[in-house]
Amino acid sequence: MSDTTLSRRAFLAHTGTAAQASIIALSVPMILSASTQARAAQAIQAEFTSLSANEAAEFAAIASRIIPSDGTPGATEAGAVYFMDTVLSGSHSDQLPAMQQGLISLQALAQNRYSSATFHSLTPAQQDLLLTEIEDGQFFRTMRFMTIAGTFTLPEYGGNRDEIGWKMIGFEDRHMWTSPYGFYDADYAAKGE
Amino acid sequence: MAWASYPTREEVDFVVIGSGAAGGIMAKELSSAGFSVVVLEQGPHLQPGDFKHDEWDYTQNEGLVWGRRKGHPQTFRRYEHEKAEIVDGAALGYAHNVGGSSAHFSGNFWRLRPIDFMEASVLGPIAGTNFADWPISYEELEPYYTKVDWEIGLSGVQGPWDPPRSRDYPCPPLPVKASGVLLERAAKKLGLTAYPEPHAILSQPHNGRPGCIHCGFCNGFGCEVAAKSSTLVAMIPLAEASGNCELRTGCTVSRINTDASGRANEVVYWEEDGTEQAQRARAVVLSANGAESARLLFLSASARHPDGLSNGSGMVGKNLMFNGGTRVAGLFAEPVNAHKSVPTTRVIHDFYSIDPQHGFYGGGGIDERSLSRGLPMSAALGSSVFGGKSWGSEYKNSLAREFTHACSFNGHTTSLPLSSNNVTLDPDVKDKWGRPALRTTFMNHPDDISTMKFFFDRSMELMEAAGAIQIAGRFSEEGQRGGVHLLGTCRMGNDPANSVVDRYNRSHEVPNLYMVDGGSLVSSGRGQPTMTIMALAFRAADHIIQAARRGEL
Repeated sequence: MSDTTLSRRAFLAHTGTAAQASIIALSVPMILSASTQARAAQAIQAEFTSLSANEAAEFAAIASRIIPSDGTPGATEAGAVYFMDTVLSGSHSDQLPAMQQGLISLQALAQNRYSSATFHSLTPAQQDLLLTEIEDGQFFRTMRFMTIAGTFTLPEYGGNRDEIGWKMIGFEDRHMWTSPYGFYDADYAAKGE
Repeated sequence: MAWASYPTREEVDFVVIGSGAAGGIMAKELSSAGFSVVVLEQGPHLQPGDFKHDEWDYTQNEGLVWGRRKGHPQTFRRYEHEKAEIVDGAALGYAHNVGGSSAHFSGNFWRLRPIDFMEASVLGPIAGTNFADWPISYEELEPYYTKVDWEIGLSGVQGPWDPPRSRDYPCPPLPVKASGVLLERAAKKLGLTAYPEPHAILSQPHNGRPGCIHCGFCNGFGCEVAAKSSTLVAMIPLAEASGNCELRTGCTVSRINTDASGRANEVVYWEEDGTEQAQRARAVVLSANGAESARLLFLSASARHPDGLSNGSGMVGKNLMFNGGTRVAGLFAEPVNAHKSVPTTRVIHDFYSIDPQHGFYGGGGIDERSLSRGLPMSAALGSSVFGGKSWGSEYKNSLAREFTHACSFNGHTTSLPLSSNNVTLDPDVKDKWGRPALRTTFMNHPDDISTMKFFFDRSMELMEAAGAIQIAGRFSEEGQRGGVHLLGTCRMGNDPANSVVDRYNRSHEVPNLYMVDGGSLVSSGRGQPTMTIMALAFRAADHIIQAARRGEL
């Protein structure tokens, strides 16, 4: 057996141990599927797995400025923050520390500008001004990504409740369509082109 | 019949590495001819019913296309003097599952034309590139294109400038979409011709599979009704039915071993739990795709093959080509709903070869698409396409219009083969198995960029002619940073000094080793390579079967 094979085996043994350890650490959330977890979170309305109550309130407030509830439902009604909680405790847990750090910086900005310890207690206009200040930064980009993902995801992940996101843009969750699909193909058929 | 089962320590006739567009065909052809075949596939054997419209998983969470999150980091750099950086996702994207990327492709199936095989002779050499003729002609490949039409299952109609075909398409074209009507009408205004896009998607039942139900989740998704003609549904069941094929999934190959005479004799791999296995074989077919086949040849280096197996020419991994792409989006007054049905229904091939008078080499086609593949999350992430805020009320209120009233005209173009565009082993970054990560070094030749610019400009003219209210567009002016058409890295040729496989995809150096995938393409074609990859696979299989029967393997 060559040295390369040995070292490869040693590497595998090492990763095997690491994988087992992480399976133990993650066993509680992983026993529940992501969707069951998310539905449970929806039902309880207050319990989050990866986010603290304060973080959840802050992230929800940011999400509601990115896709506002301005006469029609937005990220709040879609439950985008529940989606965030789901994926930040699973596939995207590596992003949680940066998001927490970004939130601390945003709260410092809220303190500095408006003497407020939290973002969610500001008025929408104040919130928009602060978000405009940070909109080119990584934290805002991640929040925008998470908000949109949570609003338009398959509802199994906890967001897009009642398919609010899909209704917002005119997407119907159907597996079958028949021609014509839009105006121009109907017109084309009518004119016999 | 059912899957066969073979002991690893006894020689099977063939090990096929990879079960994608080419590997699936090789598995079916060789096993149906009576040879014992073991197929090794990294990913799982998902069935059509397992595919979901799960945009989060497939587009953001590496559901099918593995990358950094799944333990398969890749690195990218522009030039060889730079240090390559780990990319998010995969620079060289391909699906990890039985059927490979044929399970998640859009199924745009363009044949190459006679000119593609002899373009270097016709146009002359292009300085600084490895632009070359193919060692085969269109006429030699035509019967195999027709085999793809019928055995894989295509829908289409012969277009005005299509190359000659020996038999009609088995299924008629898919119904035109509103976006296709917009392209067709615009083309007419400009004196161009848009005709039905050929698809590896069934418009009606064929070979025991149903026609498309137009759900809209093609590109990047698996087909839940098996209407999309992947090898997963068109070939793999026939390989199983032969009774001579064993499909081992979750198996990642670490190297191909050679014996004292330099012949491939064993394929070493890990099972999903890390157990190492080695399958003995009389011959090996490497169909791991244009990125992974090259990586595996490098990983199979030995004293006899110090620069990688079958790499005496030094061409393994080089000449990486992706096909260029451009996009021009247009917003319309009435509903388009381009998210419904297949990605595209009309194509313009008037610019197949750009007049050399323009001063650069290139060509391609223009078809119509939805924005962001017609996926709600991706569309919202990509907005606002036509300018304006990317969050807040204004943004929110623009989303519905962009989703239902817009489409794009997309250019698909040539790439030139360059030695400096290549796949190598990353010296630092390792994957979950401890193998050096795929490292991509890539910067387009200036003619690739000029070609994209040409197609961008033509698409803008078309979009204006289509009557769009607002228009916005983009292409990779600074060069592409990855792709999903993985071409050229084991190029085919007659001369062992500058090519890796011969005209039948046989390694110049290892007589019982075949590389059959996008790597063997000598030139990029005009934008849709999978049909040619499949035709080459059918042709290589024919040759291998005859050679094996003559006892020449």
